[in-house]
Amino acid sequence: MKVIVCGAGQVGWQIARHLAGEGNTVTIVDSNAELVRRASEVLDVQGVAGFASWPSVLTQAGARDTDMIVAATHSDEVNMVTCQVAHSVFGIPRKIARLRAAAYLEAIHSGLYRQDHLPIDVVISPEREVAEAALQRIAAPAAFDTEAFLGGRAQLLGLALEEDCPVLNTPLRQLSELFPTLRAVVVGLRRGGRLIAPDPDDQLLAGDRIYVLCHAGDVGRTLDLFGKATRRQERIVVVGGGSVGLAVAQALEARPERLRIRLIERNCARAEVAADALHRTIVLNGDGLDIDVLQEADIDRTDALLAVTEDDRTNLLVSVRAKQLGCRMAIALVNDPTLVPLTEALDLDAYINPRATTVSSILKHIRHGLVRATYSLGDAEAELIEAQVLSTSPIAGHLLREIAFPEGVLVGLLLKGKEVVRPHPDHRIDEGDIITLFALAGDIPEVERLLQVSVDYF
Amino acid sequence: MLTRLARIPMLVILTGVSGLAMLVPAAHAMALDDHAVGRAFLQSGGMVLAGALLLALATAGRPARNPARSHLRGLVLAYALLPPLLGLPLLGALPAITPFDAWFEMVSSLTTTGATVLAPADLPPSVHLWRGLVGWAGGLLVLAGAGILADLNLGGFELYAPRALGQQRALSPQGGPLRDPGLRRLDRMHALLAAYAGLTGLLWIVLLIAGDPGLVALMHAMAVLSTSGITPLSGLGAAPSGLTGEMILFLALGLALSRRFLPAPPGGIAATGPIWRDPEIRVGLTILMLVSAAMLLHHWVARLEATGPADPVAGLRALWGALFTLLSFLTTTGFESSAWTSTLTWSGLGAAELILLGLAIIGGGVATTAGGVTLLRVYALFLLARREMERLSEPSSVGGGGPAARQMRGEGAFVAFVFFMLFALTLGVVNLALAALGLEFETALVFSVSAVSTTGPLAEVSRLVPLGWSDLGTAPRAVLALAMVLGRLETLVLVALLLPMGWRR
Repeated sequence: MKVIVCGAGQVGWQIARHLAGEGNTVTIVDSNAELVRRASEVLDVQGVAGFASWPSVLTQAGARDTDMIVAATHSDEVNMVTCQVAHSVFGIPRKIARLRAAAYLEAIHSGLYRQDHLPIDVVISPEREVAEAALQRIAAPAAFDTEAFLGGRAQLLGLALEEDCPVLNTPLRQLSELFPTLRAVVVGLRRGGRLIAPDPDDQLLAGDRIYVLCHAGDVGRTLDLFGKATRRQERIVVVGGGSVGLAVAQALEARPERLRIRLIERNCARAEVAADALHRTIVLNGDGLDIDVLQEADIDRTDALLAVTEDDRTNLLVSVRAKQLGCRMAIALVNDPTLVPLTEALDLDAYINPRATTVSSILKHIRHGLVRATYSLGDAEAELIEAQVLSTSPIAGHLLREIAFPEGVLVGLLLKGKEVVRPHPDHRIDEGDIITLFALAGDIPEVERLLQVSVDYF
Repeated sequence: MLTRLARIPMLVILTGVSGLAMLVPAAHAMALDDHAVGRAFLQSGGMVLAGALLLALATAGRPARNPARSHLRGLVLAYALLPPLLGLPLLGALPAITPFDAWFEMVSSLTTTGATVLAPADLPPSVHLWRGLVGWAGGLLVLAGAGILADLNLGGFELYAPRALGQQRALSPQGGPLRDPGLRRLDRMHALLAAYAGLTGLLWIVLLIAGDPGLVALMHAMAVLSTSGITPLSGLGAAPSGLTGEMILFLALGLALSRRFLPAPPGGIAATGPIWRDPEIRVGLTILMLVSAAMLLHHWVARLEATGPADPVAGLRALWGALFTLLSFLTTTGFESSAWTSTLTWSGLGAAELILLGLAIIGGGVATTAGGVTLLRVYALFLLARREMERLSEPSSVGGGGPAARQMRGEGAFVAFVFFMLFALTLGVVNLALAALGLEFETALVFSVSAVSTTGPLAEVSRLVPLGWSDLGTAPRAVLALAMVLGRLETLVLVALLLPMGWRR
């Protein structure tokens, strides 16, 4: 597939990297020639320097025969115009734009982004998605990674197993026999830095980091089972009052339970903007790394600290310092995937990777079949894919045990009608079911083939 | 015609209006067959009108270079030049009065203070009407002057633009077509006059229905709307309408809490939004509630030893007395409820009158007829205080509420504080001058608060001093008259007028 990515900033760069890594032909466009040169050196992409919204630049980038354009420059307006030009001049079928202004995002519901209005198929908003992810982390404080699936009916939890986990050294097959009503499946297992799809005979060991997909109603039981107590989160400190931090604080304020939130922002003007937008949150102006400011925020009595500044290193250091000062839980925003392994070494409870969430929303538009959601795990090592089974799919109408899934693929939960069920080898996959699949990166093409829509579908 | 009128200096117009106003009591006296008094008013009115006409012809061709500033000058000069003119008919109507007393009486009326040296019982009704009318016109002058002050970011509006204090506001920030500022002011005057006169008329009629005789009803209506507190009776308690009348007046007193109750409030964007969220109304009502509650609850502290249940009727009477009197002094009117003595008995507070002193200093809303420090400034100081309290626990916290609120707390509160200091300084100087002229400290304090906050009846109602205004000598009264003008105009305005910046052009 041919893809043009406009904007070689954080978001554009990661999208281009991911798409190129999957064997797509990617062209990156940015007004900064130096960035374009670096991208074409480091990534397996072509580069064009120029303004993304100019038809001449897009022609140069090969827009005539492109399948998809991702407009991810810093300016909402440029992204909108780029999509319009891509639609009107070049007729590019799939258009994705990154919009950050809340006013534009609210317009989604009023039908602004349609073919005959503003031709944008998907709006991605990294800030909002990161804020969403941060909230999910706070909701499940014991998990290092969470994501909702099946329209919120299932929850993916990433759990780090410790010595006190009651189900250590038990084969997974036995687990399902012991707890027949628990709708949870261990879909991924990371041991010694390697992510695998576990066999039913695999045992869990202390130090494993597992991914569990469970029914939303069974989250508490699942956490209990793996030795993770849930604790009420009451005092929360957010470090960084940019668009992410502000969105997080606003969402936290909107929660029904009255949380005590403090927000630390270094830039005075931004702190004032945040203070104006928030009502119950106490906004502190100061450096999050400053011990006095942290103590002023009562860090020793804080339940959770969210470090969401734009600088990864600051986030990591603030989190470490907060934990040292007695904060019970620290979550850091980490943009650079190569820094992710550090979070484990630094004993952080969780991290948020905006790339994972942003890329996920783009991925579902390049996957074949009716892929409803995907979530990228680890450093793009695996994906959790949620897809609707079509009548044309090779797996439709077959029993689960008859289907030849590749080695690195595991079936998570199934949505049959309105019911979420744990898969059993004797279950039949019917047309219209929604299936969740864990797939290691290498097996994704095979999964795509299994979910593929045949030509006669159209 | 209107354009021409708008070009005539304000002072000349005011003189002409004074002359015209004298014809009202003249007609009133003629109707009552009191020809001596009527002739005095008619002659003075004719003289003043003729003079004003000559002045108007002489000055009409000279437009001011800086209209806002010339209006401000006119406003200040009005308080210096009008009282002697207004006092002219009194000299004719009351043979016993000295020119000084006439001048003092008129200063006190025009500044809406309402301090009187004349014994109410001895005066002809037309003279009463004249006092009330001058007080009423004084209130209108304050309302009109508020527009001028707002254009210069003064008179309470400095809180919205602390850095541009005393500088003329851009009349049309969008660069749209400009209307002649004089005409603009006339438009506003028109709306204001209609509402002010309309409300007075309405209040008059309602009070008539409640049982007051014509002159009393009219004068009370005018006294409350202009917060002058000028009454032809010995006090409000003597009014035949009684409690009903008080309740009617209570509603009218509330108008002095915020400029937004009258049309075309100056202050632009700050005067929009729902009225119940208006900071001045909130502060005013909060003060009223808290002080009333404190006074009433003190009852149980005071009569700890006493036995028997509290009398609910007496309690209600006390509540009404507290509410009415406190609001009346907060708006610097100075009417005392007939139930006020019940309040005092009920609460058992030793020096409840001191509360009235405090309330008069706080004052009503900006750009209303009320005087004092004004509620908006109190609000700004309150915001600052609350913010500083927050900073005690979180020194590096940032306050929210938007840029306007932040400015109000920061520079706005600073200007409010400066104003407060100027106010206190004025009080202190007046106090000192009175003490130097031989008054006792307490007496001097009560009179100076009464004059600077333009709450004339304070001296008598508070019962803190054995003296009335008429017991004072000439020199203390001259000082107090000056203090009334200072309190009415606000010292800050005078400072802004005299600042070298004003001389530059």
